Amino acid sequence: MMLPMASLIRREYLRWIRAPTWVISGLMSPILYLLLFGQAFNLGKLLPPGTPASALSQVLSGAPNYFSYFAVGMVAFASVTAAMFSGTGIIFDKQLGILQRILSTPISRRSVFLSSLVFRGMLTLIPAFLVVGFALLLADVPGVAGLTVSSGVTVLDSVQFLAAALVLSVAFTALFLSFGFAAQRIESYFGVVTILQLPILLTSNAMYPTSIMPTWLQYLVGFNPISLAVNIMRMSLFGTAGYPYSAGIYFAGLLAWAVLFVGLALLLASRALRTNPAASPTGSALSQAIAE
Amino acid sequence: MTVGAGNPRTSAEGGHDVVIDVDNLRMIYPAPKPGALPTVAVDGVSFQVGRGEIFGFLGPNGAGKTTTISILTTLLQPTAGHARVEGIDVGTRPNDVRRKLGLVFQRSTADEELTGRENMAIQAGLYGHSGTSVDRRVTELLVQMDLGSVGDRLVKTYSGGMRRRLELAVGMVHDPKLLFLDEPTLGLDPQGRAGFWRYIRTLRGSEGVTVFMTTHYLDEADQLCDRIAVIDRGKIVATGTPKELKDGIGGDTLEVAVAPGAADLSPLLTPMPGVKAVSRREDSYRVKCTNGEQLIPKVVLAAEQAGISVRGVTVAKPTLDEVFLELTGHAYREEGESPKEDRSGGNGGGSDQGRRP
Repeated sequence: MMLPMASLIRREYLRWIRAPTWVISGLMSPILYLLLFGQAFNLGKLLPPGTPASALSQVLSGAPNYFSYFAVGMVAFASVTAAMFSGTGIIFDKQLGILQRILSTPISRRSVFLSSLVFRGMLTLIPAFLVVGFALLLADVPGVAGLTVSSGVTVLDSVQFLAAALVLSVAFTALFLSFGFAAQRIESYFGVVTILQLPILLTSNAMYPTSIMPTWLQYLVGFNPISLAVNIMRMSLFGTAGYPYSAGIYFAGLLAWAVLFVGLALLLASRALRTNPAASPTGSALSQAIAE
Repeated sequence: MTVGAGNPRTSAEGGHDVVIDVDNLRMIYPAPKPGALPTVAVDGVSFQVGRGEIFGFLGPNGAGKTTTISILTTLLQPTAGHARVEGIDVGTRPNDVRRKLGLVFQRSTADEELTGRENMAIQAGLYGHSGTSVDRRVTELLVQMDLGSVGDRLVKTYSGGMRRRLELAVGMVHDPKLLFLDEPTLGLDPQGRAGFWRYIRTLRGSEGVTVFMTTHYLDEADQLCDRIAVIDRGKIVATGTPKELKDGIGGDTLEVAVAPGAADLSPLLTPMPGVKAVSRREDSYRVKCTNGEQLIPKVVLAAEQAGISVRGVTVAKPTLDEVFLELTGHAYREEGESPKEDRSGGNGGGSDQGRRP
């Protein structure tokens, strides 16, 4: 089972690495967000002069400055944005008949799905790591705000940070992959993604502190998987003060989302990969393509 | 008409070596929406293919060819009936069947951004093969397909003919003894098609592979295939060698031209051995017969003896075009080309060939 999966992952990797535009644009946008948005939108400057630093830090869930607060949000933002492209490959594979060729080999249907999830999931982590590294570097540049973490960050905290980033990546990769399996055309895929993009990203605490939002929005933000992951990541770097729940509770919530999204993806993938048109009322994508 | 009765030729040579055994296969696509009618794509198809044969599934677009090949290659589950490949049921043990066969699709399914060699190695990996044996196999096939010098180039730089040959090489990389080709020469020009046939024959010779192919080109079925099944509207209307099928509809047509105003030749022609029908149009006669060439001297001699001067005699061999017309009651070309395939390069199924000279 491993070799066929490795072959599909190698195939996706070669295709990705040979499309430099995608690679560069995928890596550039989180950097630009950090540099332009993160530097410009300095919430701390809005407070009246003389406000103690601890007051700002309290609003920013323990982060020493807005950039540090924002940088952690950007880790989640970057990986979710990258995940929005996860479903494109499978649509092209369907349209070009490549999926059919793959399905005519003895590779298991589960391996086809898993190889996409693994490779695409890894792709979404790259910008996340890039954001962390770049934000940390900025802290050493004089005159520029950078990511400053509390001195008490342990190895365990780092593992907790990585685990949250990983589960978030898997969850959203699975979600958008499931849209890719369901969609017949790239237009309809990006139609759905565009509709979902802003609600998913903006109903989170990635960019702004929850406390400045109206109550109804705070409820929504609390359940957003991005918020859950960002809470865990900020707790890892800036301390746990001021959070109503423990990191474990947030992690359980994040895992629940991941299970839900992976389950949805498995369901839609198995529908798209099945060979029996009579089993579903509309027929699978594959048999419809054949019937045409 | 039943010609060859659907039995592979090899069975006559002692060994009952059936590679593909299809029994009363039916495929009904469910209605796309409530109120619409379900589509009967394959309607009770039965045939057998023997080892080492190049077996052609000939029919116009929409006849059920791609559906049949999809069932045989496990990409589609039939509504009813059975199909066995190397004795294995495609419905119940699809993964065992998949290991046995190679499949070449109508369209190019290679990754454009990968080299030919990478495409082949990845395909081998999907079958669980890796290592130096795969490298050797890939090189061997690239050389056989005359792609040795371009194997390390990206597929997007390949010509149309190169892509088709790469598809063959990809389909053969795991060393199957059975190769399925779905309209493999669709969109190639006649020269390109003839070239492609050579590679298929090469593979049969060097790899001992059995070939099952669909085609809507009559000349392709005629010149490449050992045996063909003619399919129309989901049903097989005849199975046999191209020669058997053509002989079966009455063989040759003799055109005899005589001097203007000569006496009627029909009474002399009709009783001759092998003659099936004679029709006269002014000073020329059309003679349907089984043995055109042998009949020529007899016709000329009889006419001379009767004092009728013969101006010329031509023999026309039957074409699969005529076979199709005879078997289905409608002309091959009249079958609507599906717009989708038209766009992808089909040049009007069979209309470019098979006409009487």
